[in-house]
Formats: sequence, structure tokens, C-alpha cells
Amino acid sequence: MPPSSFFALMRRPSLRRSLRVQSLCTASLPDAWVRRASKELKGKDPLSLVVNTAEGVPLKPLYTPADLPAASALQADSIPGEFPFTRGPYATMYTHRPWTIRQYAGFSTAGESNAFYKANLAAGQAGLSVAFDLATHRGYDSDNARVTGDVGMAGVAVDSILDMRELFHEIPLDKVSVSMTMNGAVLPVLAMYVAAAEEQGVAQAQLAGTIQNDILKEFMVRNTFIYPPAPSMRVVADIMTYTAAHMPRFNSISVSGYHMQEAGADAKLELAFTLADGLEYVRTAVHSSGGAITVDQIAPRISFFFGVGMNFYMEVAKLRAARKLWAKLMKKHFDPKSEKSLMLRTHCQTSGWSLQEQEPYNNIIRTTVEAMAAVMGGTQSLHTNSFDEAIGLPTDFSASLARNTQLILANETQIHATVDPWGGSYMMERLTEDLLAAAEAVIDEVEALGGMAAAVASGMPKRKIEESAARKQARIDSGADVIVGVNAFKPAAKSAQPAVEVRTIDNQAVIDAQLRKLRALRAERDEARVEAALRALTDSASAADSSGGGNLMGLAIEAARAKCTVGEISDALERQWGRYTPSFSLAGGAYVDEYGRNHEEIDATIAAAHAFEAAHGRRPRILVAKMGQDGHDRGANVIASAFADMGFDVDVGPLFATPEEVAMQAIDADVHVVGISSQAAGHKTLVPQLISELRRQQSDAMVVCGGVIPAIDYEFLRERGVAAVFGPGTRIPAAARSIINDLQKQLAGDASS
Amino acid sequence: MADVRLLSRAILAGERAALSRGISLVESRLTTQREAARMLLKHVLPQRSASASLRIGVSGPPGTGKSTLIEALGGVLLDRGHRLAVLAIDPSSHRTGGSVMGDKTRMPRLAADRRAYIRPSPSQGTLGGVARRTEEAALLCECGGYDRVIVETVGVGQSEVAVAGMTDMFVLLVPPSSGDGLQGIKRGIMEMADAVIVTKCDGQLEPAALSVARDLRAALKLFRPRLRSWRPSVMTSSSFDRESTLKVADLIEEFHATTKASGDLVRRREEQALRAIWDHACAEVLERLPSIHGVDELVRRYARESATGDTSPSLAADAIASYVLRSASHAPDVGQS
Repeated sequence: MPPSSFFALMRRPSLRRSLRVQSLCTASLPDAWVRRASKELKGKDPLSLVVNTAEGVPLKPLYTPADLPAASALQADSIPGEFPFTRGPYATMYTHRPWTIRQYAGFSTAGESNAFYKANLAAGQAGLSVAFDLATHRGYDSDNARVTGDVGMAGVAVDSILDMRELFHEIPLDKVSVSMTMNGAVLPVLAMYVAAAEEQGVAQAQLAGTIQNDILKEFMVRNTFIYPPAPSMRVVADIMTYTAAHMPRFNSISVSGYHMQEAGADAKLELAFTLADGLEYVRTAVHSSGGAITVDQIAPRISFFFGVGMNFYMEVAKLRAARKLWAKLMKKHFDPKSEKSLMLRTHCQTSGWSLQEQEPYNNIIRTTVEAMAAVMGGTQSLHTNSFDEAIGLPTDFSASLARNTQLILANETQIHATVDPWGGSYMMERLTEDLLAAAEAVIDEVEALGGMAAAVASGMPKRKIEESAARKQARIDSGADVIVGVNAFKPAAKSAQPAVEVRTIDNQAVIDAQLRKLRALRAERDEARVEAALRALTDSASAADSSGGGNLMGLAIEAARAKCTVGEISDALERQWGRYTPSFSLAGGAYVDEYGRNHEEIDATIAAAHAFEAAHGRRPRILVAKMGQDGHDRGANVIASAFADMGFDVDVGPLFATPEEVAMQAIDADVHVVGISSQAAGHKTLVPQLISELRRQQSDAMVVCGGVIPAIDYEFLRERGVAAVFGPGTRIPAAARSIINDLQKQLAGDASS
Repeated sequence: MADVRLLSRAILAGERAALSRGISLVESRLTTQREAARMLLKHVLPQRSASASLRIGVSGPPGTGKSTLIEALGGVLLDRGHRLAVLAIDPSSHRTGGSVMGDKTRMPRLAADRRAYIRPSPSQGTLGGVARRTEEAALLCECGGYDRVIVETVGVGQSEVAVAGMTDMFVLLVPPSSGDGLQGIKRGIMEMADAVIVTKCDGQLEPAALSVARDLRAALKLFRPRLRSWRPSVMTSSSFDRESTLKVADLIEEFHATTKASGDLVRRREEQALRAIWDHACAEVLERLPSIHGVDELVRRYARESATGDTSPSLAADAIASYVLRSASHAPDVGQS
């Protein structure tokens, strides 16, 4: 490499990071190609074509046989269904039948979701995947005052066995496998599912499906936990040991990287933290049973769940590397007897982050590309997102398109006619090895901290993911990462895509229906039995582990049969364990660093904040808040971090606040602006409540909203006093300046009046 | 200044939005608002019930569990019928541009409790400026009816000295680290503490916490007590153990009762005021010096003469001081606009 270009490269920080790997691979760019490439590029350095991925793994313009791992290593990996399973967990994979099309869905009441499920099964979907509403996730009944805005909105409301019975009405649970995304209120929900199956005459042992039960990632990214980390891990262990003994066909845990990717993690972090989580769960289950349960009873019942985004090769490589690395790690740490304990089986979902509100029909194409990566990567089951999910809940129409995307891939192409089609590609084999090595380094870091539970307690994974998210957002805002129709190739005004319809949920109607059912439940049940079941749960929770008071899963099933509610069962444990609220800790500077510290637009924003301070005696001050049970705080965290980088004083409030609490915090801190981040459809109920509470207490703080808010709700929110709505794709510096402008106007108005 | 009068009435009536605006006013860096802030303080201060109120400084290294303790302690104080304000100063929140204040996320229950007032402040500017603004914010809280005010600061250098200098009781938190832990705490800060609390005394850390507490007790015996009626004590606490929080709350109330009865509390406040007045006065004089008529011109003239050797900077400074004092004797209300 000529020295001049080397130094030019060194000045770019993103390149400096990956220089070590870089210099290894430039050595393998053949001279003959470099000469020709220079000529074609008219003197431009061919090295500039190397894509420096967020993972720190270079993606080169050309791979040759020199990039391949040693022939013996390739040979060792070559048979799918054999250790280390790089090419797939099964020998034939999907050459004789397609992967499982498993669409994640749930909304409103159990009755409405049931009708939706039955229609989907009739239309070719193979398994169910239940989305619960946030009230259920967080262990609250629908009549709890803290969850008014959340009931039935982002999933189906389940309070008791009555709802669970209705949810699976006329769906044979011994035949249809059911996946349930549940982590916080995992005990009552799984217990009610078991009890509902019993009512159908299906025994526990016959149940096939998956419960997510992955609490560690909740503490990192998704925040739908209930209890502090230590008792939460006890719950995980009790479920794993219970299902190992009584529900042999049920996957007791779905170790999920998906939510990490959604929160902004790159493929390396997603891969590393997910596998490290998996190791921690196996350890926990084996240790907590005191050796009574072996790794071979636990490991084969663990499944994985990855997100698949737009970086096509990287995603295929991620799935290949995941299988190989898991096999390697399991062998190293547990040396299991059964080969099944080494096999990583996974569900995948296309990326929700990659979906855009602008030009939403383009999302159909994005999802298709991502689905192809998942299938070529060898996923066992797949959810394809509906194109309108950046705007609102999917309609019957958009859900059918999403499902058809998979049906077309499975039936009209020959993609799955051959196992691991990318195997042997110079590029793919190199990328798989590089990504595996990069992830292994992160896992080593986690192990050095004492495993994933200790690492999560230290805050390290959360910090790394949040930093990755801030950098990703900055690359998009600065135009370094192109998103068609959003930051490039924007359509002319007249040729914009037609507006999409979204499914609207009548929040109040769902609450009313749930309240009626709760009343009916309480009227028909045996209160003494309820009391006894709940007391047994509290007693067991007060013991250090299940050897003292009995397995919590068994006790929860008894409580479900006794018609206890989700809220009552959760409270019985909360009495002993308390509720957990996470604290905010975000390293600053990542957003502005990635954007480019001397970037004109950043400078202009900081200057505007300074001008504001000079005029008003203090910096513009904003409270970034989330209301309701929506714990998706990536957006809020990135906003908080970026606004602080750009000269705001930023207050961050606790998650899961009510509108009254947010108003009080805004008033105490005397903020100029309250920024509400909403990802879960609660805005129409909660934001107007916030504004009226602020005004009632003589606060004139400006209220702005951001997140997933359908354009059709903008007018509704503005009429109720929201100053601005910043939808997906808003560039943060632009939003910051627009807020400062509005504030200047408002304050100037105050002064003159 | 009709606005200020309205604002002061609303603060005294206990309206939290008014208190918040008042604090923004004393925190403002605009000279025009500085004047309004002075007026506000003049209006509200006579209504303050100083003898019923107690100001508690809580300090300790990052990660000691300050917010966790305040969350638990605050709950107890509220249950005992007090009204609590928490002023959080976080020097670590400093950023290139602005700041992030996440204190409320570490006190989720207090942050949701109407009986508590929580105000994080970005620590901007000089330490003296931060101290002045915090002290005035605390005064306003007391005028607004908050009889317990906790001033929280991260112990990174001089900020705890400033906090100790404006609070009635200074509580130092110490993490349970093994062996050399105590060497990390500066002697001067230990001397200021009225109570030292070793946190996280539970689980695996319990032996370490108990051992640190023993060492601290031995070390504190060597210091001369700052008050005649109060010997600093060392306690351990655990966020899992409500009893330990109740004991901390008891200790605080005991401190209040004892020092009030002995007169130590009033004496300490007087000493603190004495020092604060000197500090503020010096700062004020310094700030206004260049704008006193003739001073700037004199400085320039003496600078020219120093350069040619006709005078020296120290002689010139003496001459300027004499000049300023002479003009001050003619105009008793120096600099007052």
C-alpha cells in the first residue's frame, strides 16, 4: 500500500479501529487485481472499496481462494447435521420441506386474536407466535391504573385462564406448536397456557412450542422485566427444570438476539451477547438443580432467536457463525454426551428497525431481502414483518403480504433446494470466520467479568449496544448509510406512495371487555383456593431456590387452575422480591463522534443551543420520558445522548411512568420541553393526559413526541397541544434545532405579552 | 418587579411549579435575572422557618449507592411526615455540549411520589458558582415548605467540601472495598463528616463492609470532633435491609435534636454563613472590580509604566486597591445598581 493512502486512511477513525484486520486482508488482495482495479478507478486507491462494517470486520471488494480457511477446516465443517453444524443442524435441512412460517401476532382481546390466528392457520401458516400486550408482559391486570394506555395495544390482553381459553379456542394444542414471547410475567402466562391445554384434554407432555423466557436480554435492551435480576434468574431456572421434567417437547427458553439488533446492536454484539446469554442459562439450570439435571436434559430444549437486517452477507454469516461458535462453546464448557446439546436451532425475524415510515411500500422489498438472508442462513422458522409496522399495527392485508413473501420464497424459488447455498464461497467462509472471531473476543470479555449475569449487572453489554445504536443513528443522519426514500432518493411531492391504512385498536373497548371478564372470574372462583395458591407462591419466593418452597412453575400452574390472575400471581412474587426499575447510564459523545465532530450541521445545532443559553440564562432543558409499560428505550436513550451532545440539559425519567408522574418530574426540573418517546401505540391515551396535567399545574412546558406514531394521529396530537411530532426518520440535529426555534418563539411571546 | 412578588407568594404557598421557576431564576446566568433572583430571595427569606428545617449533604465516590440510599431514606422521612427536597448536583454529567441528568432513574419511587421534590442540576461553571446556586436553591426549597433538604453530590474532588459548607449535617458514603479502600478517602473529607455510612453491607460484600466500618471507627477516633455535642458515628447499610435505613433516618433526627438543643446547629450555621459571606463578597468584588469607574484606565496606565520600568505590577496593584477604597468611601453603595 502506498504510504500516502495509508495515512489518509489512518485519519478516518472508523478505519483505524479495524486496521488490524484490515492489514491482514489487504495482504490477500492479489497484485494483479489491484493493478487492474487502480486503472479502472482512474488512480483511486482500490483499498477505498473495502467496506468497514459496524462489526469491525472488513467486507472486501474481492475474495479469492487465499481468503479461504485451511482446506482441512473447510472439510471438517462440510457436512450439515454434523459437529460443528456450521452448515445447518440437520442433514437435509429444508430440501424436503420448507422451514416453519411462524408469524408473530396478537392484539386487542383474546377473541379477536383467536379469529386472526385461525384465519392465518387456514391460509398456510404452520405455527403460532403470540404477542401479549405490555400490561400482561409487566404482570399487571387490565384493571390496574398504571396500564390504562397499554391494554390490548401492542399485543393481546391476557388476565386469566378465561382469556387463555378463548385465545386457543378451536386450535388443537397437541398439533399446533405455539411460541410465546413472554419474559416478565412468564410464570403466570406459561401456567395459564398449560391450564388451558389441560381443559382441551391435552397433557403437558404433549405440548410443543417455545416460551421466550430470556430475562437477561430484558435487562440489556427490552425492559419488560418485573423483578430484580437475581430472582428473575431463579424464575428462568425453575421453568427450565420444570419443563425438562414434565414438558419434553417444549423449548423452555428462546435466547434472543433479535431485540439487541432492534436496539441498535451490530451483528457481532448480537451474536456474542446472545450466545453468552445461552451459556449463562445452561449454567444456571445445571447448577440450580444441584446436578440432578444434566446438560443433556437442558441444552436440547434451548432455542435461539436472531434478527435479520439489511446487511445481507453479514446476516448469512452470522447464522453460520452462531451454529459453529455455539457448538464449540458448549463442547468446551459442558462437554455434553448428546450431540443435540451442541446444535443451535433458531427462529429469525426480519428487522423492525429497517422498516421506514416514509415510502412504506418499500418495506416489502426490504423484508424480502432480509427473509432471503434468513433462509439462506438456514433458519428453522421465520417471521416476516408487515410493511406497515413502522406506522402502526398490521392490517389483515399487510399481514397477508408478509406471509406470502415466505410462501413465494418457499414455493416459487429453488432457494431451499440446496443446503447452505453460500457454503464454500470465498467471501462467505472468510466472513463467517472473521465474524466468529470478533464475537468470540466479546464473549471472552463477558466470561472475564464472570459470565453474562455479572456482565449485565456491570452494565457493559447495555453500554456497548447503546453506543452502537448512537453510532448507527449518526451514520443514517449524516447520510453515510443510505436509506432509500428517507435520506436519499426522496420522491417528488406528487409521486409519493399512497397513504397506508393501519389497524386501530379501541383501547377503551378492550379495557371494558377485560373488566367484565375479570368481574366474572372473581364471581365464579373459590377464594380460599386462590389465597392458598398465592400464599404458596410467596412462600416459595422467600426461599433462596426451589428446593425450599417448591418449583415456582408448578405452583403457578396450580394458581392458574385456581383462576388467579396474571396480576395476582405477579404480586404474590413481588411481595417478596420487589419490582425492578433500571437506572440510566449512557456514555456520551458516541452520536457526535460518529456524525463527525466538526460537521456543519452539528456545529449549527450547538451554536443554536448556545445562543439560547445566552438569551435565557440557561441551556435548553428537555425531559426525555417514556410513559406506560413500553420499555423500548433505545429511541429515548439515543435522543437523550444526542441532545446532550448538542448542548441541551437532558433530564431522563424512570421507565414505566404515568402521565401524572412525568408532569411532576417536568415541573420539578422546570424543563422547557417534554419529549415523549412512544413505540407501543399508547400515545393517543397518555399524551393528552400528560398535557392536561401539565397545564393544570401551571406549567407551559412544550410537549413533543417521537417514535412509532402513525401520520394519521399527528393531527389528533396537535389538536391536543403537542407542538411537534418527530416520526421515524427524523434527523436528530434537525429536530433539536426545530425545538430551539419553537422555544425561542414561545419565550419571546411570553416576554412581550 | 411585580412578577417576582407573585412568584414569591406562590413559592410560599407551596406551589411546586413556582418553586421550580424560582430555582431556575437563581440558577440563571443572566445579569438581569440575577437582580430578580436577589429580589426573590429578599421576599421569601423572612418567611422561612430555619429552626424546623435540616439540610443534609450526602456525598461519596461514584457507584457508592448514594441514590439508592436517598431513595430508601427519603421514603422513611416522608412516612414520618417530613417534606423532602432532593437537590442533585452531578459533576460527572458534564458533556461536550450539555448534560444528562439520570438521577431520577435511580430513585424511581421518590420520583413518583408527590410528597418529594427532586431537582437535578447541571453543574456548570466554577465551584463557587455551583455552591452559590445550590445554596440558594436549598433556601427556596425551605421557603416552599420542605423541611428536609438533601443535597447530593458525587465525591470527585472539591465538591463535597462545598456541600459540607452549606449543609447542617454532612453524611459521607463509603463503598465496602477491601484493604486499601480507606486510603482513597481524603482525610480532610473524613474530618468533615457527621456520619459515615458504609453501603452495600449484604451478601458477599458484608464482611468487607463490616471490616471497612471497623477501620473507619478507629480512624474517626483520632479526629477532633467538629461539634461539642456530636460525635461522628459510623454505620453500615444495605438497600435490602429496611432496618438499616430506619437507623440512618433515626441518626439524622438524633443529630437534629441534639445539635439544636446544644446550640451547635445555630453556631455551625453562623460559621458557615461567615465563610460564605466572605466567599461571595470576594467573588462579587472581583467580578465588579473591572467595571468600577477609572480602574480599567489605571490598570492600562500602570501596565505601560511597568513596561518602561517606572513602576512594578505589585506597586501598581497596591495603588489600584487604594484608589478603589478611596472611591468606595465616597460612594457607600459600591456597584449597587
